[in-house]
Amino acid sequence: MIEVQNIAHTFLIGKKGAEQPIHVLKAISFTIKPKEIVAIVGKSGSGKSTLLQVMAGFMKADTGSVKINGKETTGLNEAEHAAFRLTNFGFVFQNFQLMPGLTAAENIELPLKLQGIPASERKSRVEALMQRIGLAEVAAHYPNELSGGQQQRVSIGRALITNPPIILADEPTGSLDSETEQEILQLIADLNKAFGITFVIITHDDEVASFAHRRLKMHDGQLKEEA
Amino acid sequence: MLLKDQLDFVKQHIVKNKMRVFMTILAATIGCAFLIVLASVGFGLQQTVKNEILSDEAVTRIQLYDDSLTKERAASLKDEDNVKAVVQKTHLPMALKSELDDREAHSEGKFYDMTAFQKVNGKLAQGSYPKAADEIVVGYHYAQRLMNEADQEAYNEKVEAANKKQENYMGEDEGFKGNIVGQTVTLTVENDEEQQVVKPFKVVGILQAPSYEWMIDNQVIFSDKAINFFAGLQPDPFPSEYIIHMDSMENVKPLLTKLKKEGLGVYSVIEQMDQINVFFAVFKAGLLFVGTIAVLIASIGIFNTMTMAVTERTREIGVLKAIGASPKLIQRLFLMESAFIGIVGTVIAVIISYVISVTVNFALPIVLEMATGEDIGEREMIFSAIPWQLVVIASAISIGVAMISGWRPARKATKIDVIQALRQEV
Repeated sequence: MIEVQNIAHTFLIGKKGAEQPIHVLKAISFTIKPKEIVAIVGKSGSGKSTLLQVMAGFMKADTGSVKINGKETTGLNEAEHAAFRLTNFGFVFQNFQLMPGLTAAENIELPLKLQGIPASERKSRVEALMQRIGLAEVAAHYPNELSGGQQQRVSIGRALITNPPIILADEPTGSLDSETEQEILQLIADLNKAFGITFVIITHDDEVASFAHRRLKMHDGQLKEEA
Repeated sequence: MLLKDQLDFVKQHIVKNKMRVFMTILAATIGCAFLIVLASVGFGLQQTVKNEILSDEAVTRIQLYDDSLTKERAASLKDEDNVKAVVQKTHLPMALKSELDDREAHSEGKFYDMTAFQKVNGKLAQGSYPKAADEIVVGYHYAQRLMNEADQEAYNEKVEAANKKQENYMGEDEGFKGNIVGQTVTLTVENDEEQQVVKPFKVVGILQAPSYEWMIDNQVIFSDKAINFFAGLQPDPFPSEYIIHMDSMENVKPLLTKLKKEGLGVYSVIEQMDQINVFFAVFKAGLLFVGTIAVLIASIGIFNTMTMAVTERTREIGVLKAIGASPKLIQRLFLMESAFIGIVGTVIAVIISYVISVTVNFALPIVLEMATGEDIGEREMIFSAIPWQLVVIASAISIGVAMISGWRPARKATKIDVIQALRQEV
């Protein structure tokens, strides 16, 4: 369960001494239930990515609170946030954000390394997951040897490997063609169904949003539930 | 993250940037090797001076020259801890002329209690210690110094010729060539007041050769019973001192301190060693300081390498932070990399330094000998010595500086903003 209460954030832009305030988030509140796929939609600059960053703990909001599965995360320091992310979140990014020097399998394995899981257990878990998401054939390939769809699958694999209850996806299909986009969305739907993972998808694409159980629309720093 | 995985992570990045890391290790190696080799000169020279002093038997001796020393205290000296023997040495404070047929020599004379003297002096080169009052033991070069007029002339010419060539001639070709042991020599002692004693003495033994090749020993050692032959000669009594022989060098200082506290006039070569050690401690500290500057210059290379590594990997660091890597872990990974550079650089530097040190000690005497014509090798000079303490100090400085150089870039890595990092182009 994700509970966001009265989140507000203002950026100051412009030259020092003559900064202009941009109220990017204005007292936003919403709740996302477990196992939901929720799409946060909105135009560029509407504040949807900022909202995701606040939820993930990448940045601190000026006011408000975020509770993840009952745990208040707003007051955590950087190290506590990192530890919290490692066990509670998976991340999928628009441009995949894979490590170029690691193979597909090694990229997926990375969060398990951070968790201090022994190599033998990591190997079996990575193999099983790669099989599940259709990447077994490309396990030893480096990111630059993979197609965009395969790279995003690796990115999803990396997000899934620690069995997090929530996956935050920022424009997960933004760099993909429509056919691959459909494949990825189908994979997300399958994983949600199979593992009961909550997906929060940031997108400006209505087609992507249509896959979600619920749509929240960001407009001018405010959030509205859409039918 | 398990340590093995952390090491793998560091290794992967080192391999990826091997040329840059290699150059940085090279800089660290040169800096550290310079530090060690420079300081090794200080250690080497100190070792040379120390060896020079230690090769003299005097290091286990304490000289006690004090008129205020009572007979009772003198007698009790042998009961002090770790004392091997106490020998009273009485000097013959005037010229001593030896004559054998047409040959004569001038020497120093000393009187000893022969039992104690034998105990500390050990084996003679030839013959035995005096048993009777009119028997003497002579220095190793005594016979060589017994010259007639022809010998003296030849000797003078050879010395002059040797001096011109900047060489040393000790008179090996001249002197009495027979066996001096068993010969009876006439000794003449004369003081400033023209008092004179002339008496024949039988040579019964020859002392061992002195420690140094350049030393000439033509002294005459009398038994203390022989003092009676010189009774009436001024000054009366002859000046004397006590030589306390300790069982080891380590035990010299405690007794020396104790005797000083008693207000007695004492001397030991060990005191000189203390002064030498202080001098060399300051000298070595100076060399270490200069060497450390080289290490500091090398550290600029490490700082640059690590800063570039952090800048290049900003996106990777951002991803790591996003998926849950703690700032401490990120800092540790970069510190491990700079420590790796420091440790590898130091290990190679230590090996190179040993090679340089051995080469210098082997080659420099040959080079100097060729350049100056002097036989440096015979003096057993150590130009460079690398004791384990120097390795420890230099390693600590080198690795420490490498770690400090890497610390700031590592801190910078922890401060990378995840959002900014993820926005970087792949």
